Amino acid sequence: MSRSDPLAFLGEEFLTWLWFRIETDGGEFDIGRQRELAVSFDDFIAFAPRDDDETEHILRKGTPSRSVEASAALRNGRRLTRARLIIAHGDAVYGVIIDGPTMDLLSVKLPDDDPEAASAEERSAERIAGFTSLREYVARLYELFLRERLKPDYLDAGGAEQATWMATH
Amino acid sequence: MFRRSGSFACVFVEGSTPDPCGQDFLSALAEHRFRTIEDAASEQTSIGWVTAGDPSGNTFDLEDMDQDGAIWLRMRVDKKSAPTKWLQIHREAAEKSAGRRLNAKERKELKEDLLSKLMPRVLPTIRLIDALYLPKDGMILLFGTSSSVREAFLSLFYKTFSATLAPADPYRLAVSLNLGKEQADQLSRVTQVSWPRSNSAASTTVGAPSTTEDEPTPTEDLEVSA
Repeated sequence: MSRSDPLAFLGEEFLTWLWFRIETDGGEFDIGRQRELAVSFDDFIAFAPRDDDETEHILRKGTPSRSVEASAALRNGRRLTRARLIIAHGDAVYGVIIDGPTMDLLSVKLPDDDPEAASAEERSAERIAGFTSLREYVARLYELFLRERLKPDYLDAGGAEQATWMATH
Repeated sequence: MFRRSGSFACVFVEGSTPDPCGQDFLSALAEHRFRTIEDAASEQTSIGWVTAGDPSGNTFDLEDMDQDGAIWLRMRVDKKSAPTKWLQIHREAAEKSAGRRLNAKERKELKEDLLSKLMPRVLPTIRLIDALYLPKDGMILLFGTSSSVREAFLSLFYKTFSATLAPADPYRLAVSLNLGKEQADQLSRVTQVSWPRSNSAASTTVGAPSTTEDEPTPTEDLEVSA
């Protein structure tokens, strides 16, 4: 199974776009069918090196997306390569690290089990539904990003706005 | 009970499998079921299917696997390995009694002899790798992100169903989202944005293209309008 995706950068651009949208639009995302997600950054972000001479830059603990180091990285045009996100749909709150280049979902934490689930089978089914829902939520967020990113005038519109946000973060 | 946390990779199924709720699907799993190596002298690794209800791999009941449209697959990997310190001690003892260092051929023969005696007595380490097959989406959520687990799962799935698996990377995921013709066309041409470097909020710079010597990557540069 090849892991060499020539468009792996899109996953990194997606994470950086999410950050931009969260800070500029408030972190609420309409994913269709009357569903809305609330997304925020948690306690881990990693910046991709811009080239082979640079190192990956990892920030942990606290709120790294608001740190001076994170602002400096953005001003240097660096993209996120991994980030731990909190994704909420209604009362269901998920924790997940998204790996941009592969779109793997790492260290997932599902919402707490329903205390009214009577059996192990019920809890299993609920957890499986949780994993499949999270996968779909991330796919829908990625779709929102792509619908903006793949517009012919992206560089003059959303891309330019994001460039300004990065430079002034 | 299914886990409440963990990491997973999404992979797309390329090709078809039998109906996951049908007998052919269960028979295919059973044909490639896990087989124990507890008493084996030569086999050091065994990989095969089991279910959450029967970790031995002897039975495949649909009710253990069918979870409201998701099929809970479980791959079992048993591995035996001889303790290296134990081998070293025996080699040193052999060298002491011979009064010299063993040459490469003698070391190899000694190791093979020791392993043939030891392996039936070594208990394997056991790994259970879960996966959720979502037939409607043609996708599998694989709860193992190391390359060795991915390769083992891919290989076992292919042997079982003659269907290949492809990672749901940014490109394949984008293709699966039915973005429409205009954006699909754009996807085939998209190049990475080289975001501007800026030492301060007031400065305006143009980003340098991100390239490597081996694989030049086209980029789209942006200017800061601040």
